[in-house]
Amino acid sequence: MLLPFVAMAQTATDVVQPPKEFNPAGWDWAFIAACALTVLIILVIARAFDIGSLTEKVTGKKVIGWTKVNAWLAIIIIIAGAAGITYEMIYHGKLILLNDSASEHGKTIDSMFNWTFGFTFLVFCITEILLFWFMFRYRYREGEKALYYLHNNKLEVFWTIVPAIVLTFLVLRGFNTWSRITDPSKVSKDATQIEVYAYQFGWKARFAGDDNKFGESNFTFISGTNPLGLAVGAEVDSLMAELKRDISKIDILLASAADSSRVWQTALRDLEAKQNTTAYPEVYKDVLTKATDARTGAYVRNLNKDKKRKQTNLWRIAEYKKNKDFFNNAANDDKITTEIVLVKGKEYVFKFRARDVIHSAYMPEFRAQMNVVPGMATQFAFTPIKTTAEARKDKNNKDFDFHLYCNKICGAAHYNMKIKITVVATEQEYKEWLATQTTVVAPPVVETPEAPKTDSVAPATDKTVAVIHN
Amino acid sequence: MSTAALHAEHDAHHHHKESFISKYVFSMDHKMISKQFLITGIIMGILGMGMSLLFRLQLAWPDEQFSILEVLLGKWGAGGKLDPNFYMGLVTIHGTIMVFYVLTAGLSGTFSNLLIPLQLGARDMASPFLNMLSYWFFLTSSVVLCISMMVETGPASAGWTVYPPLSALEKAMPGSGLGMTLWLVAIALFIISSLLGGINYISTVLNMRTKGMSMNRMPLTIWAFFFTAVLGLLSFPVLLGAALFLIFDRSAGTSFYLSDIYLDGVGALENIGGSPVLYQHLFWFLGHPEVYIILMPALGITSEVISTNARKPIFGYSAMVISLMGISFLSFIVWGHHMFITGMNPFLGSVFMILTLIIAVPSAVKVFNYLTTLWKGNLRFTPAMLFSIGLVSFFISGGLTGIYLGNAALDIQLHDSYFVVAHFHLVMGSSAIFGMFAGIYHWYPKMFGRMMNNTLGYFHFWITFITAYLVFFPMHFMGLAGVPRRYYQFTLVKEFDVWMDVNKLITVAAIIAGAAQVLFIYNFFYSIFRGKKAEQNPWQSNTLEWSTPVEHIHGNWPGEIPTVYRGPYEYSRPDREEDFYPQYIPDETSTDPLKSTKAAPAPDTKEPEVEPVNSVFFSALKRVFGWS
Ligand code: HEM
Ligand SMILES: [Cu+2]
Ligand SMILES: [Cu+2]
Repeated sequence: MLLPFVAMAQTATDVVQPPKEFNPAGWDWAFIAACALTVLIILVIARAFDIGSLTEKVTGKKVIGWTKVNAWLAIIIIIAGAAGITYEMIYHGKLILLNDSASEHGKTIDSMFNWTFGFTFLVFCITEILLFWFMFRYRYREGEKALYYLHNNKLEVFWTIVPAIVLTFLVLRGFNTWSRITDPSKVSKDATQIEVYAYQFGWKARFAGDDNKFGESNFTFISGTNPLGLAVGAEVDSLMAELKRDISKIDILLASAADSSRVWQTALRDLEAKQNTTAYPEVYKDVLTKATDARTGAYVRNLNKDKKRKQTNLWRIAEYKKNKDFFNNAANDDKITTEIVLVKGKEYVFKFRARDVIHSAYMPEFRAQMNVVPGMATQFAFTPIKTTAEARKDKNNKDFDFHLYCNKICGAAHYNMKIKITVVATEQEYKEWLATQTTVVAPPVVETPEAPKTDSVAPATDKTVAVIHN
Repeated sequence: MSTAALHAEHDAHHHHKESFISKYVFSMDHKMISKQFLITGIIMGILGMGMSLLFRLQLAWPDEQFSILEVLLGKWGAGGKLDPNFYMGLVTIHGTIMVFYVLTAGLSGTFSNLLIPLQLGARDMASPFLNMLSYWFFLTSSVVLCISMMVETGPASAGWTVYPPLSALEKAMPGSGLGMTLWLVAIALFIISSLLGGINYISTVLNMRTKGMSMNRMPLTIWAFFFTAVLGLLSFPVLLGAALFLIFDRSAGTSFYLSDIYLDGVGALENIGGSPVLYQHLFWFLGHPEVYIILMPALGITSEVISTNARKPIFGYSAMVISLMGISFLSFIVWGHHMFITGMNPFLGSVFMILTLIIAVPSAVKVFNYLTTLWKGNLRFTPAMLFSIGLVSFFISGGLTGIYLGNAALDIQLHDSYFVVAHFHLVMGSSAIFGMFAGIYHWYPKMFGRMMNNTLGYFHFWITFITAYLVFFPMHFMGLAGVPRRYYQFTLVKEFDVWMDVNKLITVAAIIAGAAQVLFIYNFFYSIFRGKKAEQNPWQSNTLEWSTPVEHIHGNWPGEIPTVYRGPYEYSRPDREEDFYPQYIPDETSTDPLKSTKAAPAPDTKEPEVEPVNSVFFSALKRVFGWS
């Protein structure tokens, strides 16, 4: 850490064993050569034109009239631009998400988009065409004089007022649409809540169990077996025990810090004496870091920091434990899932919570997005109006699925952080799916004299949910 | 005033011999400093563009191996594949370099330094020494940023906006370690540089104008640089504050931005009570004005270049100044449009939406005024003129999509998608770069005493213009289809597969665009030594800088500083034979004592100047701010 290893120097060690299939003579050299050649050709052509202009000077005859060329290129730009934009609109325009919203409010966003597009596209066409037309029309002509035209207040007031009116219209509409979508007081009381939880790098959803109540949660409760930090007594107790164990381990390490420092220094001296530093670069680097840390006291400092952090955590948990309302067992029957299933036509409120850094829940098909911020509760309410099956039919793609993507840079695997959303047609289908999901704490086995109804009771396999923690 | 005059005296009368070091390295001459800024900016620009090509390769051919990556990047390109962490690093440093190093320092630093004294008739900046410091802070900052690319854990990788907690926690991603520390150091140095520059620009504009150069006779370039410097002076300190808090959170254990965090491999952190959204407020309080800090100098340059080459007065001079002023003011109260969906109170979102869409009005006014300036002009297609026209085109295309993004309701869908990438690359990236090119082609004769090659300039323009649209236009469609930005690879989401051919098209266009810049770089450096010798006023322009000798001298004018008799855009006056009427030519027919040739020109700036205030607007300004 103390030595800023230069990446260039690193190559020396890393290049030694390239991956097996790596072929340095790949096609990309041809590619680079092609690029270089392109540059060269452009340079040569430009040079040729230049010599043309030289002969122009010598002979006094115009070889290339650049004024004309540039003016005509402006016309070509208008035509080619119009063609290109038409092509884009037809070819890629049909791939965009517009007028096919899978959510209720999305329709208002789409209509807002259409209005905005109407105005802006008109302005775009008029101004761009004028710009390049003027470029063509008013190109330099020998002996002609430009119009001396300083200002025209009427004209200027006109083109200040007109955009202002159009924008007022757009703002009012936008304001309306925005507040209808985001105002929390507009969310109906019986909207179903789902907690959507983000972490590096994945999403989990939590559905309230049969009691229709979410258990409390707190980041201090998070552990390997309790990834959402739910207020589950047994989980939290075992976390406390683990923290205590960790703290005593740190105490032992601290007590023997002087010894381990000596060990690392010796190891380092050995390595250097035997000239093994280049033969085992990885080992050497490791030993060097450890020895340096020990020598500078960073080792002890870090241990102490870690200890203090764990003590704080322990103390905070203990404080929460005193609050009986917090540990009310409401979390026990919550269900943590790796897929979100919604019912068409039902209103939902997604309650977002982040574990580590900011993420963003982006559901483009539903025209929904909200950042997920550590330490701050955010939410987004919407009503799906299209089932997955319907969307597949619309898109003529039987593999299509709705997704929630991460849309705020959050680390190396940001690009692969998503969760599937399935919209079903009936409450029944949803209930069936939910029944297959395990609860946070397995329900106590009820002794029933009759034959057990295996098809509707969720078979709880483990004490905790079997979630893959990555 | 009097110190400035004394200073000017001093400079005018002491032409001491200069050593190589004091002339080319630790120079205090604004013209040399401007060239230093420009060349450093160009080098940073090459780096930034190179990075974009590297990550574009990854986006277009995610499954291909490129041995060039391994050659260039070492362990980050092991096996010819770009590492995902380093992809983020490249994107981050690309953004940082382009925004701060190329388009803030490289553009504003170059042309403010060159033109403020020359166009206003001053011997140098108010403080040449601070000016020199400004450059050296900038250079140090650039070097630190480059070094940060080479540390073992990689450069800062949390995006150019470096939002905490990602950027605050070393364990959250490798780039948040030493690389992030160096990024913060580099930005702190950069801010100091830009504050030193800004103070200088403002005081020079306010105090060191030559006789007759009232505020309403200043070229629009100067107005633009002036407002830019004011914006920078007011907003950069806020970024410095934000960066300091971030430094504290990273190393002093404070919790400005951190709360309720559990990190894999570490555990629950102690930090409680901070807010990541606070950082975003502070950052965008600079961040939004920053885009105008980038854009306004480009607009100023364009005004000057278009008017000169259309041989026509700029249409609506006052409207241009007022719209710059309106944009400057509004740019301080719209930052929330970057934060509509951060969980900020929705009502606050509405307020920011309204303010944001208001800013579209002065922007529209500028476009219409440019168009009217071209109308019935006599357009000379110098490369500078073409680049200015290109700027207007990009400013329209990119500006219009701002109306979508400023609308909170639409931003729900568009935020952080490729639509945003398309928008800002057109309106701030391409526009400002084109403004910078226009400035370089136009003032090259002033800077180096030689002409650049026009033919190469035409090729450079047309190829760059077309490929820039090819690169950024299709991105709108990707964004509208819900493709997120800052993704290392799109092949893991099968819905995005349809965009792979577009990704390839974009990358190929970007490579051609990159190749076209070779033309420029060749032209630029070749012409410094071998270009055609420039005349004194090659574009028949009106402004004062063209009255200085071609060979640079310390103090700019060999004799007295010229007096200014009229506004800067008197082209094609019907009462004159020639189609231009320089500001410094006395008016023979006038009886106004200041304008008359009979009154002997006063020795520069010693006497209080008589300022003809010919508009209510400017007299009001004068009364309010006490400007002279
Ligand atoms: C050769 C020309 C350029 C190309 C091909 C290019 C390409 C790109 C692409 C594809 C991205 C998005 C990467 C991602 O989201 O994963 C990006 C980001 C960015 N670019 Fe450029 N760009 C170019 C020039 C510029 C210029 C001139 C500017 C100046 C404003 C600029 C500023 C930025 C910024 C601020 C970002 C955002 C970085 C971030 O997400 O943190 N780029 N560029
Ligand atoms: Cu994420
Ligand atoms: Cu903004």
